[in-house]
Amino acid sequence: MSVSSQSKVQIAAALTAAFCGALLVLASQHAAAQSAAIPPLMLPYGSGWSGGIGGRTLAPPESYLPPDYLNSPEQLQAAIARGVPADKVKAYLQIRESNQLLPPESGIGPITDDPAHPFFNNGMREIGKPSTVRIAGLDSEAARNLKPWALEVVKKQNALALAGKNVEARHARCWELGVPGILEVPQPLYFIQTPDEVVMYNGWRVRHVYMNVPHSKNPPLTWYGESVGRYEGDTLVVDTIGQNDKSAVDAYRTPHTTKIHVVERYRVINGGKGLDTSFTVDDPDAFYKPWGGRRPRFLLPNRPLNDMDQICAAGNEDHFDLGLDPVPQEATPDF
Amino acid sequence: MRVPVLALVVITSAALARMPASAQGSGSAVPDLAGTYWATVYYPTVPVVGGGAPPLNDAGKSAYEKNRSGLRDGSLQDPTRKYCLPDGIPRLLATPYPFQLYQLPPGQVTFVHELNNQVRVVGLNAPLPGYDKASADPTYAGYGTARYEGDTLVVQAIGFNDQTFLDSSGLPHSDQLATTERIRRIGNQLEDVVTIHDPAYYTRDWQARFAYERRTGLRLQEYACGDKHRDISRVKGISEVRAARAQKRFP
Repeated sequence: MSVSSQSKVQIAAALTAAFCGALLVLASQHAAAQSAAIPPLMLPYGSGWSGGIGGRTLAPPESYLPPDYLNSPEQLQAAIARGVPADKVKAYLQIRESNQLLPPESGIGPITDDPAHPFFNNGMREIGKPSTVRIAGLDSEAARNLKPWALEVVKKQNALALAGKNVEARHARCWELGVPGILEVPQPLYFIQTPDEVVMYNGWRVRHVYMNVPHSKNPPLTWYGESVGRYEGDTLVVDTIGQNDKSAVDAYRTPHTTKIHVVERYRVINGGKGLDTSFTVDDPDAFYKPWGGRRPRFLLPNRPLNDMDQICAAGNEDHFDLGLDPVPQEATPDF
Repeated sequence: MRVPVLALVVITSAALARMPASAQGSGSAVPDLAGTYWATVYYPTVPVVGGGAPPLNDAGKSAYEKNRSGLRDGSLQDPTRKYCLPDGIPRLLATPYPFQLYQLPPGQVTFVHELNNQVRVVGLNAPLPGYDKASADPTYAGYGTARYEGDTLVVQAIGFNDQTFLDSSGLPHSDQLATTERIRRIGNQLEDVVTIHDPAYYTRDWQARFAYERRTGLRLQEYACGDKHRDISRVKGISEVRAARAQKRFP
């Protein structure tokens, strides 16, 4: 081999090494950029985002509720009006939210309980309150936002609940919930994030969010509709259309139509300890104006999805003849 | 041949983004099993490796006959199908609906099934509970742990309850059931060979094999209990089992 060809080989080797080095640097920068750009909703094995205590005596950390909510004078007054002792208000607000939609930062919020019939969930035992059933408050901006037919549906459910019938929320009867109804579920929420898709699952309810693609022209109507997503800075934005009209938007059975359009925003807060979720609902056939809400969750370590999350219908009949919704079942298995 | 540097960088970046996260930067060889899969054949009775019937012992034969006759005359329900409860292993492996396999989140392998939205979460190298815990608190899906052995994902599970069958014909298992699955890619297919260990009902350990086609671009559909589901009539074996059920020839 001549000197000149030897030099060419050395130069080529040096160029190749430099090129490979540059590739590695670029690749590591790419990986870093990917991880920096994508909000860390997906948690390592064993951790989930809990929506509350779900009747269990597990006090959620204070950090899971937005401070403006925990310290809100309106919430304080509302809690005291519901008979909560002043020194238990914070505990009440934390426990209460285990399957409750919170008001938005501004604008019309979700239906909430009737102050004359305050709702105390199972967890309220911790502050000395026995559990009660849900009766929707009808003297509120949220109730006045309902179109007449939707208001009638809520009134009908109120009458049933006051008579001790149909008192369980749809999620407790194992039905699919739609969006935003699914946000109320207290079981931990888990995310899988890939470049093309975000999978969200809690219990046996699974949602697929397709990233950076437009909606289909005429998506088939389904319980959870068609969800497309994008990242806006540190936030996952999920846009959902195409829902059927069989679900309710909340545990008060507030109905919606197939025109419902929901936008959810998910953001990790409090140094990774909390998941802030806000949403807006637009359905001109059910509501006079768009409305919104929040549903915070908190980091729950050492709690991978387990069997109990997926067997709602096992032995879940209406044992005491309370007029409960039947659990879903197949008329004829298809294979 | 001249390859534009930018093109190489783009290709490399795209490839990195699609690698299993667990493999990125770890330096270890983790097989890329992630994808959407769909069985091409449905087996109403578990497909035993080597052919033949599962090696039931006398107690197993008695339990199987009881299950089959109960399912036939309606005195025994199949709650898995009726109430859309978890199938358990290996019955879930026979699903005629597509599923997704994710090697995500870190430390976990996740199977997302269209059939009844079953999500199976297995921790990598997660410790299995002791026999006392597993037998005192058995579950539909059992307690699982996973590890990689070369090109194969090995999933082991114990602690199954007695609310499931091993297949649609009512093949029984006891609470001593322990399963070991060896999952690997063969070309465009995913293979899952499961070893069944259940000395209460079987004379020896035995194996069943399931295979699935990788389906790029296929989206899972919603599966709500009681609603109409995806048309699976093209999956081989479905029309046969439907006809057999209608004519009371199965199970």
